[in-house]
Amino acid sequence: MEILKDEIKLVVKDLYKNYGNEDVLKRISFEVKKGEFLSVLGPSGCGKTTLLRILIGLERQDGGTIEKDGVEITNLSPSDRGMGIIFQNYALFPNMTVLQNVEYALKLRKDKKDDARKIALETLEMIGMSEHLDKKPRQLSGGQQQRVAIARTLALKPDIILLDEAISALDVQNREIMKRELKEIQKKSNSTMIFITHEQEEAFYLADRVMIMSEGNIEQIDTPENIYKSPKNQYIKDFVIAHLEQKYESLLKCTGRIKNEE
Amino acid sequence: MKNKTLNTARILITVFLVVSVLLPLVRLILNIHMEDVAGIMQSPQFKPMILNSLATTSIATVISVGMAWVLAWFVNRTNIRFKAVFSVLFTLPMLIPSISHGMGLVLLFGDNGLITNWFGINIGLYGYKGIVMGSLLYSFPVAFLMLTDVFQYEDYTVYEAASVLGLSKFQQFKTITFPNMKKPLISVVFAVFTMIFTDYGVPLTVGGKILTIPVYMYREVIGLLDFSKGAIIGIVLLIPAVIAFVLDLKSEENGNASTVTKMYEITDNKLRDKIAYIVCGIVIFLISLPLAAFAYLSIVKQYPIDMGLSFANIKQAFELGVGGYLLNSLTIALLTSLVGLVVIYLTAYLTARSKKSFSTMTLHLISMVSLAIPGIVLGLGYVLFFKGSWIYGTLIILVLVNMIHFFASPYLMAYNSLGKFNEKLEDVADVMGVSRIRMLLDVYVPCTVESMVEMFSYLFVNSMVTISAVSFLANFKNMPLALMIPQFDAQSLIEATAFISIIILFVNGVLKLGVYFVKRYIRAQDIM
Repeated sequence: MEILKDEIKLVVKDLYKNYGNEDVLKRISFEVKKGEFLSVLGPSGCGKTTLLRILIGLERQDGGTIEKDGVEITNLSPSDRGMGIIFQNYALFPNMTVLQNVEYALKLRKDKKDDARKIALETLEMIGMSEHLDKKPRQLSGGQQQRVAIARTLALKPDIILLDEAISALDVQNREIMKRELKEIQKKSNSTMIFITHEQEEAFYLADRVMIMSEGNIEQIDTPENIYKSPKNQYIKDFVIAHLEQKYESLLKCTGRIKNEE
Repeated sequence: MKNKTLNTARILITVFLVVSVLLPLVRLILNIHMEDVAGIMQSPQFKPMILNSLATTSIATVISVGMAWVLAWFVNRTNIRFKAVFSVLFTLPMLIPSISHGMGLVLLFGDNGLITNWFGINIGLYGYKGIVMGSLLYSFPVAFLMLTDVFQYEDYTVYEAASVLGLSKFQQFKTITFPNMKKPLISVVFAVFTMIFTDYGVPLTVGGKILTIPVYMYREVIGLLDFSKGAIIGIVLLIPAVIAFVLDLKSEENGNASTVTKMYEITDNKLRDKIAYIVCGIVIFLISLPLAAFAYLSIVKQYPIDMGLSFANIKQAFELGVGGYLLNSLTIALLTSLVGLVVIYLTAYLTARSKKSFSTMTLHLISMVSLAIPGIVLGLGYVLFFKGSWIYGTLIILVLVNMIHFFASPYLMAYNSLGKFNEKLEDVADVMGVSRIRMLLDVYVPCTVESMVEMFSYLFVNSMVTISAVSFLANFKNMPLALMIPQFDAQSLIEATAFISIIILFVNGVLKLGVYFVKRYIRAQDIM
């Protein structure tokens, strides 16, 4: 699938949010291209989760606008924005089977009611969960539950999918698998993805572009390569580059490429 | 906004609770005349009455909690068999009214009691002894249940660590068990203290010349219709309950975050288990004595003159209208539990599954306030507040007062089970366009059906046995069965009171049995 790099999907302008007397988002602006995978990276408390919740409408902004495909969606309710969201802890309906979980919201929509079963089965097939249709969430592993959560979101055909620390709860092995699968899913579903994380490697591995946030501001937004080559400020050097290099260094140590100096 | 219905529901329930909980209390306080306060304080009964209540309640609380601790320990920390059976039998006394416990003692140890007559021993029941014994029967099952809960959630890993460090059993008790138990134990002590302190059923029947605060209040209001004095005494009764309530709120804030990583492992000890069997056996024997006495006296011709067996008493009881009062009780209990279940569950849904805000926190707090209001105080508040309105004197007001009186416990059951679900479920629903009502019906209700059955059972059983909140509100038309016990007792219709206790025990027993099977059926469904 060809990604249309230049078509703008989402435009965020001067987004502002205040809790009590703290500015959580300090009038930030950015754009997301169609079919792009954008990682939003930052430590906890930097405002990234608030940003995500405002984008999808679960929280109200105190200022600024959001445009999708040239249409302002700032004040639409979450279900009218054509977006989907995947959370860290899956949040599946515990009393429903895998199939029912995916089918449920479709059945409640007039236009999709009749095809609900068909769409659900297709989506589950695509995500590789066809063998587990009748299982309840508690019978599934973390990775499988996350797949069901993804299928449940994809079935509604959102054109932007938000992922909130979506693979952080998985064990290391499953995380690696899911990382690769997320890219696959993005290609297959042709959707734009905004991925929130506090983990540097994850952000850099997955993203077409990375947006680094700290204390309610955007520090830098660019391709992983450009950020690595020319970090804009000391914060990025410390928080991102130093961290990645340390990882790299330990790898070199393990492979014997460099010697321990002490 | 999209969740309009829920906001409306929240406002309606808040208004409902303000009217049915807070306003009657305010009305009660407004009813107090200052000259009566002085009058009561200066009356010769006042000081002894306070001392009597404090003394009997303190003694009974200490014994009750101590006994409950021992039994809970035996059931949870030894290898005896039939633990479930023991637990059920220990809680049988909860299925009859407090006044029945008093009557049971009268039938056994009273001047004409079965044991008094058969063995020729008069223990001098009436007075302190009787009040303490009756209060013990009335309150220890509650303490037992609360302590069992504490024992079940004790983490074993700390004990393992202590053993590795070489701490003796006594040191382990001193450094682990006791500190762990301190906070829940304080809650249990206050709950039991409040229960006994505010009960008039036991001291009314076996108190003899010993006057306690609730009995005084009962007599002032029922006998002399002196509402002002009743209100003043009501305020006195509120004090321990309010203290308990505030303490509980505080400990809830601190959070009960302890998780059990490992269940307690019980070591082998034959002697300990033998002692456990013996003690549990004795307790069950003692508990069953009054129940057996009820059954026996129900079918004795005329105690103690003619000890032949017949159904004449039962026939007479029905001629005295017991059937109609039973019907009242069943109607009240069913309505209270059905309406209560819906209202309380919905309230818990609104507070447990909404974002914390001023309005949800307010609703949460009002929902728990009923814990701090003794039944007779609430009842008197209702008399003063609702007198003259259409609801006064109807069955509905009894349903309402019971629902409010027993609101907090089932509310907390629902609140806790609803609070356990993934906190992001509402976000998911919002994004997918699933309304909150749909979520309630399609996800939460199916998942918490077992808690709902438990709530229903709690409301039903308590409505069947209560004599407190309803006592001042009932008239001869809407009177529930349990309130006929003091009526018949006053007319020396001892056999009839025994028969009423048996009926109530039977109805609640059948309900509990039904609940057991329903819960088993639900578990077999494998909902989650």
